[in-house]
Amino acid sequence: MNYEINMENDIAIIRLYGELDHHETEKIRNDISKTIMKGKLNTIIWNLERLNFMDSSGVGLILGRMRELSAVNGQTIILNPSNTMKKIFQYSGLSKFVMEGKEEEAILYARGIVNG
Amino acid sequence: MDNEMTLSFVALSENESLARIAVTSFVAQLDPTIDELSEFKTIVSEAVSNAIIHGYDEDGKGIVTVHAVREGDVVSVVVKDEGKGIPDIQKAMEPLFTTKPDMERSGMGFTIMESFADHLQVESEPGVGTVVTFSKKFHSMKMKQIS
Repeated sequence: MNYEINMENDIAIIRLYGELDHHETEKIRNDISKTIMKGKLNTIIWNLERLNFMDSSGVGLILGRMRELSAVNGQTIILNPSNTMKKIFQYSGLSKFVMEGKEEEAILYARGIVNG
Repeated sequence: MDNEMTLSFVALSENESLARIAVTSFVAQLDPTIDELSEFKTIVSEAVSNAIIHGYDEDGKGIVTVHAVREGDVVSVVVKDEGKGIPDIQKAMEPLFTTKPDMERSGMGFTIMESFADHLQVESEPGVGTVVTFSKKFHSMKMKQIS
């Protein structure tokens, strides 16, 4: 499991790689949380394109960060999840945050919501 | 029965990936599609994580056993622990219900298992342990080509 965080002003793009389970989530959660709390953030884009596996602990990770963002009325985009992940997000009521496309498109979309 | 395996490990969360790797290899012969395989791995991951986290509180001592049997294109799996058990199974299976919100457990494990498995059964007794049994049929790529 590996991840990268790219900050684009008030948008954090988090790219996850490999397999995300409970064990891995525990390892990266604090780190991600600290990084995103440092900046003046209002959007997190989770790029899951290179994530090979995710179970419900991924839902916990994303929901947890959504809660932190809710303090600043922030928004979340879940970008390019696999079919199985899409189903998991659907059962968890997170379908409306799922989007497919390039990171640049997701950023534009996020800015559109924020500014429009 | 065409094949059978048993894997036992102590309740450490790093063994979640061990369980997934073992069952992935076990079903490889069936030529599963990517979606079938990832759904199957997800069910195993949820059941094994539950046993480790909720059954044993990740004590590194309790034993989790994964037993898999393949009959034709159907794989049945039993995930068993002798941990603290579930007092109210119905409640535990409700979407979003979790006893560990502080750990950011989403409470979606059983809902996901039920959705991805063809058949799922949960038996549990407080102080005795929990047994999760499920089966999934694989519509392999080879078989699709033949039919």
